[in-house]
Amino acid sequence: MTAFKLPDLGEGLPDAEIVAWHVAEGDHVVVDQPLLSVETAKAVVELPSPQAGRIAQLLAKPGERVAVGSPLLLFEEGPHPDAGTVVGELETPKPSTPTRPGAEASAPTPTERSAGPRAAPAVRARARELGVDLARTTPSGPGGSVTMADVDASVAGTAQDIPLRGARRTMALNMARAWREVAHATLHDEADIATWSAQEDVTVRLIRAIAAACAAEPTLNASFIGATNALRKNDRVDLGLAIDSPDGLFVPVLRDVAQATSADLRQRIDALKQAVRVRTLTPADLRQPTLTLSNFGTIAGTHAALIIVPPQVAIVGAGRIGQRPAARGNAIELRRTLPLSLTFDHRAVNGGEAARFMRAALADLERPT
Amino acid sequence: MPEVNLVQAVNLALRRAMADDTRVLVLGEDVGVDGGVFRATDGLHQLYGAYRVLDTPLAEAAIAGVSVGLAAQGFLPVAEIQFTGFAYTCIDQLLNHAARLRTRTRGRLTCPMVLRSPAGGGIHAVEHHSESPEAMFAHIPGLKVVIPSSPARAYGLLLSAIRDPDPVVFLEPTRLYRTTREEVADDGAGLPLERCVVLRGGRDVTLVSWGAMLKETLEAAERLSDDNIEAEVIDVATLKPLDDATILDAVTRTGRMVVVQEAPLTCGFGAEIAARVAEHALTSLLAPIERVAGYDTVMPYPRTESFYMPSVERIMAAVRRTVAYT
Amino acid sequence: MTTVAEFTISSTRVLDASGKVVAPLPAFAKDVDALTSLYRAMTLTRTFDAKAVALQRTGRLGTYASSLGQEAVGVGIAAAMRPDDVLLPSFREHGAQLGRGVSLEELFLYWGGDERGNDFSRATADFPNCVPVGSHAPHAVGVALAFRLRKEPRVAVCVFGDGATSKGDVAEALNMAGVWTLPVVFVVSNNGWAISVPVTKQTSAATLAQKAIAAGMPGEQVDGNDVIAVRLAVEAALDRARNGDGPTLIEAMTYRLSDHTTADDASRYRDDAEVSHHWSEEPILRLRNYLVSLGAWGKEQEEQLLHACSQQVETAAAAFLRTSPLPPRAMFDHTYARLPADLVGQIEAAGFPAADAHA
Repeated sequence: MTAFKLPDLGEGLPDAEIVAWHVAEGDHVVVDQPLLSVETAKAVVELPSPQAGRIAQLLAKPGERVAVGSPLLLFEEGPHPDAGTVVGELETPKPSTPTRPGAEASAPTPTERSAGPRAAPAVRARARELGVDLARTTPSGPGGSVTMADVDASVAGTAQDIPLRGARRTMALNMARAWREVAHATLHDEADIATWSAQEDVTVRLIRAIAAACAAEPTLNASFIGATNALRKNDRVDLGLAIDSPDGLFVPVLRDVAQATSADLRQRIDALKQAVRVRTLTPADLRQPTLTLSNFGTIAGTHAALIIVPPQVAIVGAGRIGQRPAARGNAIELRRTLPLSLTFDHRAVNGGEAARFMRAALADLERPT
Repeated sequence: MPEVNLVQAVNLALRRAMADDTRVLVLGEDVGVDGGVFRATDGLHQLYGAYRVLDTPLAEAAIAGVSVGLAAQGFLPVAEIQFTGFAYTCIDQLLNHAARLRTRTRGRLTCPMVLRSPAGGGIHAVEHHSESPEAMFAHIPGLKVVIPSSPARAYGLLLSAIRDPDPVVFLEPTRLYRTTREEVADDGAGLPLERCVVLRGGRDVTLVSWGAMLKETLEAAERLSDDNIEAEVIDVATLKPLDDATILDAVTRTGRMVVVQEAPLTCGFGAEIAARVAEHALTSLLAPIERVAGYDTVMPYPRTESFYMPSVERIMAAVRRTVAYT
Repeated sequence: MTTVAEFTISSTRVLDASGKVVAPLPAFAKDVDALTSLYRAMTLTRTFDAKAVALQRTGRLGTYASSLGQEAVGVGIAAAMRPDDVLLPSFREHGAQLGRGVSLEELFLYWGGDERGNDFSRATADFPNCVPVGSHAPHAVGVALAFRLRKEPRVAVCVFGDGATSKGDVAEALNMAGVWTLPVVFVVSNNGWAISVPVTKQTSAATLAQKAIAAGMPGEQVDGNDVIAVRLAVEAALDRARNGDGPTLIEAMTYRLSDHTTADDASRYRDDAEVSHHWSEEPILRLRNYLVSLGAWGKEQEEQLLHACSQQVETAAAAFLRTSPLPPRAMFDHTYARLPADLVGQIEAAGFPAADAHA
């Protein structure tokens, strides 16, 4: 590179102080253009450029004393790169990273678009809300899209399906859960009730028998807490009484049946039946039976393995009363019997406890009126 | 209360604004002695003289630029551009200067000007007199864009535009200038900018439009009612800044939207509305958003003009498609 | 055939290129202090200019348009103006802006890419630079109209280059100013070049001053490198405007000794020899020569002045370099007087806190 050196300024001076630069590195300067001002004894002198060229580097700072003949600046050699703009800076690719030929040539392979179900956004939102799988919903909309009606129909099933409501819905949910959780085991037997009068209050006798059996085997009246594998003793026998109605199955609870008189029980049973009929049962009426009695025998059936709703551990099923052949001594006689089924939760109750409960219940039932 | 049409309502608003505030000026071609080619500035020159109502030389860019200078000096200039077809040359002054003067000087200089101009077709005029450039203006940051659709709204919105501290482009639907008359209270009350107006309630579909197309949109809504389709109708009124909350609220309830614009389809203002609804109310949509718009062609000459303009039938067809979708 | 119109364009020069007085000195030019004040102003302008170029070359300033060689135009204009007049510059009137009270730091901020550079603390009615060439000429007409409407004895001064005289906005503005007889002075800073287009390719009009004639106003030329002549001509035009005699167009003949901008390389399209020649006509040299010939300027003053200017410029540059950039949220500030709801939404979506800083 060519240097511009401090010329002899006359006055016989060996050096001069730089006062100010008038150009900057990168400037293109022309002949006679003032490059800098220097101070001599007599004057501040502007030094003109001896050549046209581009300034590569300034070699001295204002305030410095520079000797005559020393370089003040360097001119560039060779052509100056073209910025190719009048405003701003245009980026160019860096020379060190060569672009690989064909790097951009191949477009990324488009991912396979899955042919998923088509539906308007609001329909999708509704489907999500209702837990409906759009892929398994029959579409009836334009272009094979799923409509709002299609989603609603999918939840309901076919046109003839009736969505469960109320007691039926509760039953469906409770029984499914119970089936999953409880370890059901069942004992069947028969009570000889030949000594009963014709007007015997069957339900009350059953309830008294259950109360007696709970006294003999309290385990069947306990509550099993599955989450902690714990058994909770219940002091009272709160008997759930299964009552059938056009609206479905209701199981209102008779509280503390062991302390109630027969008349008392009958009155309360009637009250509950009435409440079921006119739909005035309250949630309190249904809450927390300690065990349950289902007297299905008033309609049909002898023995049954019934479903226990946790945390109960037992349910008693009473079958149809009737004349049945029985052994008496060496002869076969027709005797009036009441079939009894005891389903118990084998997580909490063992066979012996169940059998003893059954024995106590039968014993109470077989006492004369 | 007298009944006035839209252009008379504009005149009322200008009179009121000039009476209330000596900083308000009117300038433009033929606005003074002639009262404006549409008589929008009728009588102002007689009232306020050549100092406040200026007949300018034929120079639209300069009209806009002079307004910038006046506004920076504290006046409230209301410039008239005779037709929006001639306003394109003002875009440079609006976009490069009016709309950014406040921000580039950090609020030191501001530009409270109004540029008002008749817009839209259907007046059987020679070419270049039927433009709908609102989307171009709405794209400019720092600018406000207002389009009235009735005499009362023209009065209230223009007053607010004149009082607004920022530059406003006020596009008046030429086709509606004289079609309807209604009572307009000359009470100086401005209508808020940045507020859409619900003109008609409806549960089945939301129709969104502005300017002259509200006429066809409302008619379509009435006729659809006979087929038991109840259409809600929203007048955007202020395109920028957009009150999208009103539109989103409506579409959330109806689940369906049709936007009606006279301007060409592509990149029209309807696209912005559709994008915002798709972004913020997607899960409410029961059908695709439809836009009934002018075609992506130059507005044809008057003999074919009626085929271009969105008709009541086209609007109704779009609504039916939308309602039948799911 | 009858002649229905004729025109003459006159040219004024007081100091020739060597600094010799060639016309009667106006009153202010007989005052040595006034002259040295003009000299100091031009030197400060050039010192600032050199620093700005240096900062750009080291990446600390954006693209910058140098005023090298054109200092007399800006300094002369500002010296003639009154404080409550309004300047509307193009983007090469740094000397005029400095003379009007715009600070060095504000200039560095503007060219450094910060809007606060336009928030002048003095000359608060002056317009900021105008980049779209000539589009500020109508603004000047509006400002002048405001003065006339309020009956104020103030004048708008609009400065643009030779290239701008080809723009429609300029023609429209000149015409309006003329027909309305407005208090506005248009100064064409004819530096010979519009980027790479010499003025001979810009127009076939013999002078740019005569474009005034077409607009119905007086047009004149002045030696734009003679700061005395510039100030004289502008003062006279301002007086006419203040007296209600309407606008004037002044064509100030100068030369662009620099590239168009720091990104431009003028050696691509212009002859170095031509530029060298114009160095001999530059404005600071001739005034220095005149002052020296009066015995009113010497080595000490020159050294002191160079140091003082250097110090001023360095201090301002350092202050600018210390300034942190505006926070990102500032982009939204001042878009409108009051932020509309959807812009507030954008700020929140961008993650900038939405405290309302200003309005």
